[in-house]
Amino acid sequence: MKVDVEKLRMIVGEDNVSDNITDLYVYSSDASVHQAMPSVVVRPNTVEEVQRIMRYANNSRIPVIPRGAGSGTSGHTVPIDGGIVLDLKRMNRILEIRPQDMLVRVEPGVVDDDLNRALKPYGLFYPPGPASSRIATIGGEIGANASGVRSVKYGATRDYVLGMKVVLADGRLVTLGSNTRVHSAGYQLERLIVGSEGTLGVVVEATMRIVPIPKFRCLAVANFNKLEDAGKAISDIISSGAQPSMLELMDEIGIKAVNKAMKIGLPEVGAIVLFEADGNVKEAVDYEMEKMKRICEKHNGFGIEMSYDKKERERIYAGRKKLFASLSRYKNGIICTDLADDMGVPNSKIAECAKKIHEIAKRNNVIMAVYGHCGSGVVHTKIMLDPTKNSQWRDAEHVIDELYEYVHSIGGVTSAEHGIGLSKAPPWKKSRNDIIPVMKAIKKALDPNNILNPHKLMDAPDRWVTATNLRYQVKS
Amino acid sequence: MNRRDSMLRSISKIDFKQAKKWEKELNKCIRCGYCYELCPLYKTFNWESDTPRGKLLLIHGMITGEIKPTQEIAEKIFQCFYCKNCVDNCSAGVQITDIFTDARADLINADFDVEGTTARVNEDICSVCGMCVSVCKSEALLFTEDEVGNRRIAVDRVKCKGCGLCIATCPSGALSQKEGFKVSPTELEKQITHFLRGNKNARIVVFCCNWSVFPGLQLSELPTLIDTPYGIIVTMCSGRVTPELVLHAFKEGAWGVMVSGCPPEECDHDGNYKSRRRILLLKNLLRQLNIEPERVRMGWFSRGESMKLKQAIDDFNDKISKLGPVECSSTVSYW
Repeated sequence: MKVDVEKLRMIVGEDNVSDNITDLYVYSSDASVHQAMPSVVVRPNTVEEVQRIMRYANNSRIPVIPRGAGSGTSGHTVPIDGGIVLDLKRMNRILEIRPQDMLVRVEPGVVDDDLNRALKPYGLFYPPGPASSRIATIGGEIGANASGVRSVKYGATRDYVLGMKVVLADGRLVTLGSNTRVHSAGYQLERLIVGSEGTLGVVVEATMRIVPIPKFRCLAVANFNKLEDAGKAISDIISSGAQPSMLELMDEIGIKAVNKAMKIGLPEVGAIVLFEADGNVKEAVDYEMEKMKRICEKHNGFGIEMSYDKKERERIYAGRKKLFASLSRYKNGIICTDLADDMGVPNSKIAECAKKIHEIAKRNNVIMAVYGHCGSGVVHTKIMLDPTKNSQWRDAEHVIDELYEYVHSIGGVTSAEHGIGLSKAPPWKKSRNDIIPVMKAIKKALDPNNILNPHKLMDAPDRWVTATNLRYQVKS
Repeated sequence: MNRRDSMLRSISKIDFKQAKKWEKELNKCIRCGYCYELCPLYKTFNWESDTPRGKLLLIHGMITGEIKPTQEIAEKIFQCFYCKNCVDNCSAGVQITDIFTDARADLINADFDVEGTTARVNEDICSVCGMCVSVCKSEALLFTEDEVGNRRIAVDRVKCKGCGLCIATCPSGALSQKEGFKVSPTELEKQITHFLRGNKNARIVVFCCNWSVFPGLQLSELPTLIDTPYGIIVTMCSGRVTPELVLHAFKEGAWGVMVSGCPPEECDHDGNYKSRRRILLLKNLLRQLNIEPERVRMGWFSRGESMKLKQAIDDFNDKISKLGPVECSSTVSYW
C-alpha cells in the first residue's frame, strides 16, 4: 500500500500531515494492549477536507481509522492494516447550543468536559460522560456508544443522539436522524452509527440531546465486609424501583490500589458501594437516598456517609474517580491491562458474577479487580499481570475464555460501554454468530472496499493476543 | 514546522543508561491520556506526540529498541515546561517529568544537539554579568570558560525547566527561548495585542501563572477570553512578566494589568518575588508617564483558587472602570 502523502498535504495543509516516525509511533496505540503503525497521520479541520480524504482513500483502497482522544481500551483506533489515522481533534467547535430545543450541535472533536463547561451557564448538561470525559471526544463516544457512572439513570450515548452528519467511505456526506426528539421515518440510521467504531463512516457533526442540571445531588458511601453482600444490595436497590443517578461498586483489590496510589485512606473492607440520587425536589432525593440506605443496611452495609455538599461529594468520590489508573500501582512488577473490562450482566447476577471473577482470576494466576456502574449492570474488571512473561498472556487468554463463557451463560454481554475493537472480538464473535453476517452485509453495503477501520468488530482476528504486536516487551 | 525536514539525523546506538531504569514504570502507564488534559505543549501544537503520554511512548520505544532516536524525537523530549500538571493528573503515579529528565540526560550524552523549551544564550551580546545564574533555581545556568579562557554563560539543558525567569532577568536580552511555544516576549506581546485589538470590550490584561491558578481556571466554568473585559495571557511562571510586557499592554490600550503568581513559598522558581519587585519599581515609572500606579496589580493565587482570582479580577475591573481608559497611552510608545 502506497499512500500519496503529498496529496494529503494538498488537502489539509503541510502542518497537518505527518509520516514521521515520531508521530507514527505515538499514533500506533491507544489505551489498549495493542500496537500497530499507521502509514500517515492526517488532521482535517473541515467536513470538506474529510470528504476529500475519503474520496482519495476509497479510490486508492487505503484504510482510514478515525480517531478521537485515543482513550479507547479495546484497540478500536489501532491501525491493524496501517493506512491513514484521521485525527479529528482539530474539529472541536461547538456549533450551536439551543436551550429552547434542548439540543446541541457539535463537531466530533469536542471534548466531553468542554461541552459540559459550555452548557453549564445555561443550566444544562450532556449526561453520558465516561470516566475519561476530561479528554474523550464526542465522536469517539459515539463510536463506542460510551456511557459512564450515571448511565443507571441517564443511559448511554445512543440515548442522546438525535442526528448526525456522516462522511461515508466514498466521500458522500449524508445527514442522518433529525433535530427533533422523535422521528419515525424508516431506518434509524443515526443509531446505526452509534457503536460502529468508525467502521461505517466518519461522524463530522452530531446533534445531541441535553438535559437540565438537577438542583440537588446527594452522594453516599456504604462499606461491606463481603463482596457478595454488596452485590446483593445493588441488585435489591435496582429491583426495588429506587432511582439512583449513580450506583457504583468497588472491590477490595480496587480499594487497596487506590489507597496505595493516592494514600486517601479508604477503609480496607470487602467492598464499597457508592450511591447517588439527584432531582429538583429535595424531599424526593431524600426519599430515594433513604430507601437505598435501608437496603444497604439490610445487606450488612455499614459506615454509611451521605452528603449534598459538593466538596464532601468530591471527597467521597475521589477514590472511585482514580480507580482505573490506580490499579497500576497494586503490586510491583504487575501492571493493569484493559482486557475483559466492561461486561454487562443482569442485575440479579452481579453478586454471583463478582465472586466468579475472583475465582477465575485465582485459578489462572492473575489478579482481577471488580468494580463498575453495577446499577446499570456494568461490571468492570482489569486483569493485572506481569507483561514481560509469555505465560501471563496465556493466563490472560484463559481468563477471558472462561470469564466470557460464564458471562454469556448468565445472559450477559461482552461489552457494555467500551466497545469490541480487537481485544473483545473473539468472545463476542463466538457469542453472537447469528448477527455477524448481518453486520458484514451492512458493512459491505456502506463500505464495499473495506477501508473504514478494517479488521475490527466482526472482522477482527480470532485471537486477540496475536492480532497486533503487544505494546509491552515480552521477554520470556 | 515542516515535519518532513525533521529527521535530520538518527543515532541508532544509544545506551539509555538513565532512562532504562524506568522501563517497569513505563509499563505502569496505562496510556489513559489524562495527562494531556492540561498540558500546555499539547494545547499549543495539538499533536499527540506533544502529549506527556506520547513522550513516554517515545521513550519506551527508544529504550526497548523499537524505534531509533531521531533529532525530532529528541526535540520533543526537550519540550516541557515542567508544570507537572501531567504528574498531578496521573493517578498511576508515574513520575512523568523525572523520566523526561533522565531521557534528556541520555540524549545529551549521545551528543544530540537539541533545544526544545530550554533557554539559549546569544554569546555576542551576553555581558557575562551572571544575573541569570543567580536567579535560576534549577541551577541550569553556570559560569564556564571557552578554549581561550574567556568567561561564558552556559545552559545545562538537562536541568533547564524552561520557566523563562532568566530571559526576563537578562539586562542585555542575551537569553531567549525558541519561538513557537507562545512564551517568548514577542509571542506574548502578540497575544496581548490580539486580545486588546480583537475584543471591543477589552480592558484588562491578566498575566496568569501556569503552575498555580491557570490549570484550575481551565477546568472551571469561568469565561476566559471570550467577550469578557479581561484577557488571560499565560506566561508560565509569573517571574517572566517584564515591565516591557506591562507597558506593551498599556500601549495597546489596556486600562489595567494584573499579574497573578503563586503565593509566597509556593513558587517553584521564586519568580513571584522577582515579579513583585519589578511591579513595585514599575509603579514609580508609571507615575512619570502619568499612568495611575493602581492600574497595575499583583495577586497571589494557589492551585484551585480560580474563584478567588475571578473575584479579584471583578474587583479590579470595578476600580479600573472608574478610572477609565489611560489618557496618554501614546506616551508609552516613547518607552
